[in-house]
Amino acid sequence: MASESAKPMLETPAQPSAVSDPAYLKIRDLIYRISGIYQPEEKLYLLASRCGRRMGAVGAQTPSDYLEHLTTRGNRDAELRLLLNEITIGETYMFRSSPQLEALRTVILPQIMQAKSSMGFKRLRFWSAGCSTGEEPYTLAMFLLEESQKLLAGWTFDILATDLNDDSVASAKAGIYGDYALRNVSETLRRKYFKVHDEKRLQAGDLLKAQIRFDRVNLSDNSKMVFLKGMDVVFCCNVLIYFDLASKRRVVQHFHSNLLPGGYLFLGHAESLFQVDDTFRLVHFPGTTSYCKAPVDGGKR
Amino acid sequence: MSAQKLDQLRMQVKTLDSISTAPVILQPLLEILRMPAETVSFEKVVELVSYDGAIAAQCLRMANSPLFGYREVESVRAAVMALGLQRVRSMLFGLCMDRVLPKDKWVLEPLAFWRHSLGCALVTQRMARKIGYPEPERAYLAGLLHDLGFLVNSLLFTEDFRKSLNRASETHRALHLCEEEILGFTHVESGLMLAEHWRLPQEMCDVAYAHHTPEILSSPSPLTCLVHLSDLLCRVRYLGYGYDEFLGVELGGESAWKTLVTTYPSLAEMDLARFTMDIDGAMDQIVATVDTIFGTGSSARTVTAV
Repeated sequence: MASESAKPMLETPAQPSAVSDPAYLKIRDLIYRISGIYQPEEKLYLLASRCGRRMGAVGAQTPSDYLEHLTTRGNRDAELRLLLNEITIGETYMFRSSPQLEALRTVILPQIMQAKSSMGFKRLRFWSAGCSTGEEPYTLAMFLLEESQKLLAGWTFDILATDLNDDSVASAKAGIYGDYALRNVSETLRRKYFKVHDEKRLQAGDLLKAQIRFDRVNLSDNSKMVFLKGMDVVFCCNVLIYFDLASKRRVVQHFHSNLLPGGYLFLGHAESLFQVDDTFRLVHFPGTTSYCKAPVDGGKR
Repeated sequence: MSAQKLDQLRMQVKTLDSISTAPVILQPLLEILRMPAETVSFEKVVELVSYDGAIAAQCLRMANSPLFGYREVESVRAAVMALGLQRVRSMLFGLCMDRVLPKDKWVLEPLAFWRHSLGCALVTQRMARKIGYPEPERAYLAGLLHDLGFLVNSLLFTEDFRKSLNRASETHRALHLCEEEILGFTHVESGLMLAEHWRLPQEMCDVAYAHHTPEILSSPSPLTCLVHLSDLLCRVRYLGYGYDEFLGVELGGESAWKTLVTTYPSLAEMDLARFTMDIDGAMDQIVATVDTIFGTGSSARTVTAV
């Protein structure tokens, strides 16, 4: 929902001849192995353009040279991190992944609500884990408020939004956004949920802020992770990519126990849990995928 | 569905030849489809492709599309050579299927139908390759023809089929469920009838009949299971029937998946998330290819692009 990999519309395609360099396929596979982020062959020009920026910075002449920087040079770990930063470049905007929201509205929430109401529960819990500057949780809050008279009539919900970075949490709490972050927010929603902050920016209104609890959480902090319970849906988009395999496994296992049976975990759209975890079930929805924790009955949905 | 109703449907499908607008090459092509791949003659296929100008042109466009490798071939002979006999055979069949319906009888948006059918052909073939299924071209054909029952329903039961589609699109449910409610049968039964009428190989008849529920066969073939999974995957990748279906599928939990794993254990190791992202990556090309081949001016009828 929030920070997905970069802004395709702003990319300049690299030269086709450069993209066909087999070194890019190797870089692609390396990134996938390390971070779980995958670029299909038809989108390699995006990867090439991001590598291009880093190649300029380190003075690599060819993709093969650059591959060497990523694999054999002494600073390879640092370089890989810098490349990942290019790939998932921070700036994001609200309502970035409508297929995720559609999956929630059409299948996931009805399914969870049916299971919960049979037990007499009428409350839903969401967690934006790695919320960065808050675009994702505010999107979720608007979406849920808009549904509160329809799909969610008679239900309450809360949203926990956490990040490791103090500055990000502070900025998310302030909720001040410019045109870029608000590009997909309709005029109606802007008027309803935001107030004018200054000439160029809007600030999330009290109603919106009241839906979200912001906090600083380190996903590697086991002592804190074990206390986050009863989640229905967790969003963790483009965060796990920075973890090594062992910590990634640990975090994903935490998510599994943070979630209620039948709950869902959303990752960034190019991310996969292949060979990271086999307790979650991969579920396909129109235009997106999600990971489901098996319901109590263990049955098929 | 009762045996009596099934017989009735079978009789009706037999009348289809007289009202359909199937091109003359359909019958000789069906002969070729029944033959073992290795006995098919190159000259015969070139002759069939060349017989119908519109079909020859579509074949060239397909051979030249990015999906099949941007070949820049200019003659039918070169196209058949480049694509291979089996692929051309499947392609021809698809192009013939496209012509079975007169233009005023299409209930599904033709481009949506072809995006789904060609999408399914390609996904089935890719998945077949991934798991080491020995005949990926056969998988392609199976994916391409699995929904041929829609042609029967459009032609013979136009109004009720239209109602089924409207209901499915209003309620965002699977089309076959609404066909069952309104027609009393679905495209899988009528597809089986047509496949039998055309004397397609048994395995293809099974695909037409069991692609939504492979478990209705006592031992579903790997091909039927593959098409079942590809059909689901296409429907959650904007390659459905042209309306929004509310759908969440756990492919790994499908009985077809479990059946397939017993014959092809490498399926269990398949990175499905990555496979899906590859499909997403190829999506624009699938759509563009279908639009070039089945879109405006490509055949007897004119289609408005969706």
